[in-house]
Amino acid sequence: MDDATSKSFDHPYTVLGEDPSLVIPPAESRQRPTKVYFGILTSTVFLLSLAGLIVRENPNRAENSIPAAGTAIPESSQDNVRFLPVGEAEGVSAKSYPSTRGRLSFNWTAADFAWQRTSYHFQPEKNWMNDPDGPLFHLGWYHLFYQYNPDSAIWGNITWGHAVSRDMIHWLYLPLAMVPDHWYDIDGVWTGSATILPNGTIIVLYTGDTNEAVQVQNLAYPSNLSDPLLLDWVKYSDNPVITPPTGIETDEFRDPTTAWTGPNGTWYVLVGSRLNTTIGVALVYETLDFKNYTLLDHPLHTVDGTGMWECIDFYPISTNSSVGLDNSATGPEVKHVLKASLDNLKLDYYAIGTYDEGNVTWTPDDPEMDVGIGLQVDYGRYYASKTFYDQNKGRRILWGWVNETDADYDDLAKGWASVQTIPRVVTYDSLTGTNILQWPVEEIESLRLNSTEFEDVFVEAGSLVPLDIGNATQLDISVEFEIESTQALEESMLGETESQLECSVADNRTTLGPFGLAVLADESLSELTPIFFRLVKSNGTLKTLFCVDETRSSKATEVFKEIYGTVVPVLDGEKFTMRILVDHSIVESFAQAGRRVITSRVYPTEAIFDKAKLFLFNNATDLNVTAAIKIWQMNSADIHPFPLY
Amino acid sequence: MRIPPPLLFPLSLLLLLLLLLPTSHSSSSSNGEDLIDQTCKLTPFYDLCQSSLRSSPSSSSSDLRGLAQIMAGSVLDGANRTLGQIQQLLDRSSPADPAADQPLAYCAELYIPVVKYSLPQAIDALSKGRLGFAVYGITDAMNEAGDCNKKISSGDGSSSPVSDGNMLVMDLAAVALSIIKVLQKSL
Repeated sequence: MDDATSKSFDHPYTVLGEDPSLVIPPAESRQRPTKVYFGILTSTVFLLSLAGLIVRENPNRAENSIPAAGTAIPESSQDNVRFLPVGEAEGVSAKSYPSTRGRLSFNWTAADFAWQRTSYHFQPEKNWMNDPDGPLFHLGWYHLFYQYNPDSAIWGNITWGHAVSRDMIHWLYLPLAMVPDHWYDIDGVWTGSATILPNGTIIVLYTGDTNEAVQVQNLAYPSNLSDPLLLDWVKYSDNPVITPPTGIETDEFRDPTTAWTGPNGTWYVLVGSRLNTTIGVALVYETLDFKNYTLLDHPLHTVDGTGMWECIDFYPISTNSSVGLDNSATGPEVKHVLKASLDNLKLDYYAIGTYDEGNVTWTPDDPEMDVGIGLQVDYGRYYASKTFYDQNKGRRILWGWVNETDADYDDLAKGWASVQTIPRVVTYDSLTGTNILQWPVEEIESLRLNSTEFEDVFVEAGSLVPLDIGNATQLDISVEFEIESTQALEESMLGETESQLECSVADNRTTLGPFGLAVLADESLSELTPIFFRLVKSNGTLKTLFCVDETRSSKATEVFKEIYGTVVPVLDGEKFTMRILVDHSIVESFAQAGRRVITSRVYPTEAIFDKAKLFLFNNATDLNVTAAIKIWQMNSADIHPFPLY
Repeated sequence: MRIPPPLLFPLSLLLLLLLLLPTSHSSSSSNGEDLIDQTCKLTPFYDLCQSSLRSSPSSSSSDLRGLAQIMAGSVLDGANRTLGQIQQLLDRSSPADPAADQPLAYCAELYIPVVKYSLPQAIDALSKGRLGFAVYGITDAMNEAGDCNKKISSGDGSSSPVSDGNMLVMDLAAVALSIIKVLQKSL
């Protein structure tokens, strides 16, 4: 790792500390009736005139021109069919959310709503949350900041909420870290990242939406680095430090990343945007002091047809060990992951590739699986994910925002919306070489209470096995399925016609699937959420689909009920394994040790409290499976305000 | 000698005052000791509280917050000593039986963040009036010591100095927490 010299930024912020920001009362909240959390687009003319204004106001900023567009990726989108999010095959488009405006809300009781609250996932006590921000470890504490509306359960008046934990599981709420109180963030203190410098200084770069709805990047830092709780934050007196360059739309320029070092004490930071409205781009800024920035004349990378890149994340990953790497790490056994949240699809995509330190560019290992057209981070309800390097335990940790899938008016009625996933450790999958692995942090095991184990459970074709485990709303489940050899299966299926690669509903019985677990199911199965594997013959070989079917998860008609799914590689000799975290209205499902993940939100009306049950099932017509399953009851994480005094 | 009658009364008064002075002097020092005594009576381990506080020279002139800080310091001392014992045992252990080390290694992992973060931050929090934060750190120390004790109690007797150390940390922490509780109520 190239240790940048600290000479150029030795304690630069003790000086700045003499100039604390004035705090003015936050702006009036604006109620936004939709759940799309980035602003309404204004006309291009207005934007350009604003851009002109900003440029004139800051004559010291370099006149940055549009960076050269990257090589357009050929339209080999036919290959996408192989990896269609199978929701699309079902006609439930991943792009659009079914309108719930016209649908009557289920007659939820207060108890129903209370049940929906998660027990061990991070969520504020009330109101709206979205993107995780600036996660970091400092003086024994993990910090999480998050987009938060202190006034309402829908997006608006965005601040940085703040919570701390010793173990990333037992969180304690702290006062808001930053509120919209300057012209450069008065319309919202939006998403940002933290960088910990070699000398221990913490800097945060975040997007502020200005009083004219222009997206700018601002610098902030803790007022007292020796405060382990980092309660108070100072905004740099000369914000913004980065404004939209010429040719970039002023409302498509946001979410600065954690910085990494270049040669001679330089640091690089990425800001997401789009070119010609359709080309997703990672713009690179160079800085020595985090106050003055130069836009590089070329982006880190672009991908045609992917649109605006929000919440870019860029980090190194070791290919020969499971140890996490600091953002500045490089080397022969190091690859780099580039990730973007696609605004058009509201999906998180990533690709593994090679970072060229000399050119400051990045190339995917497989251009056909480039950012935005290849792998998703999570195949369910999941967005705005962000990683950080946990220097405490040497891990790369991934956070992801999980929005509700009920109606806005349900959120307003119950007074809250959104949760974060359980933080996941990210490592390179050296067995496939083509994807990352994600796994819940081991600290979650401290919540495990008692367990029940079932071994050698023979589940023959067309059967259902109830699992008597008591409470079934807070669970940590590990299950593995064994079937007869896939070679034998392939041979027996030689005569069969090829099938569509689609999850379909769990009730749809095909030869080799589905088999799996039904969670949050009531006794009569009037409601259930099946999580399953379905083996399908495609392109001459057997492929495995990993799916979550929400279509029967709830009798409520105003909630989204998607079918999420993806092909998951299952290597020779591997059993079919799942780990499932059930926590009331959120279910996180991991296939093949985290090779693919699906996060799901469900709102049962019957399968709640002690009526929720767990079943093993096998709906295949011509396949028997044997299951081994261990189920842990999970304790509450008892997330509450930090009693400081 | 013969004291002139007019001086008799003032002189006897002066004599009385002189006799009383040592008593009043000792009662002002016993105010300090009274505070220690009164405070320790409110803790679950009176003798431990007394001996810990008295071993610090500044305790007799400390206020309640000062006593809390001294006590928190004692918890940190206890935790450091126990961690030292754990590490000594790990250093001396035979490589032939690594399984025996596992509970000790586990305990070391529990104690390190306690001595590095929880207790120093609790002590600092007391000086800043963040009493709740101090309670958090000292409770954490108590819980980790208890956790360690559960882990090694299934082992053999060679861990017993560690077990004693754990018990001491837990008891000192309980004393410190009750002193802070009194302090919180007094504010």
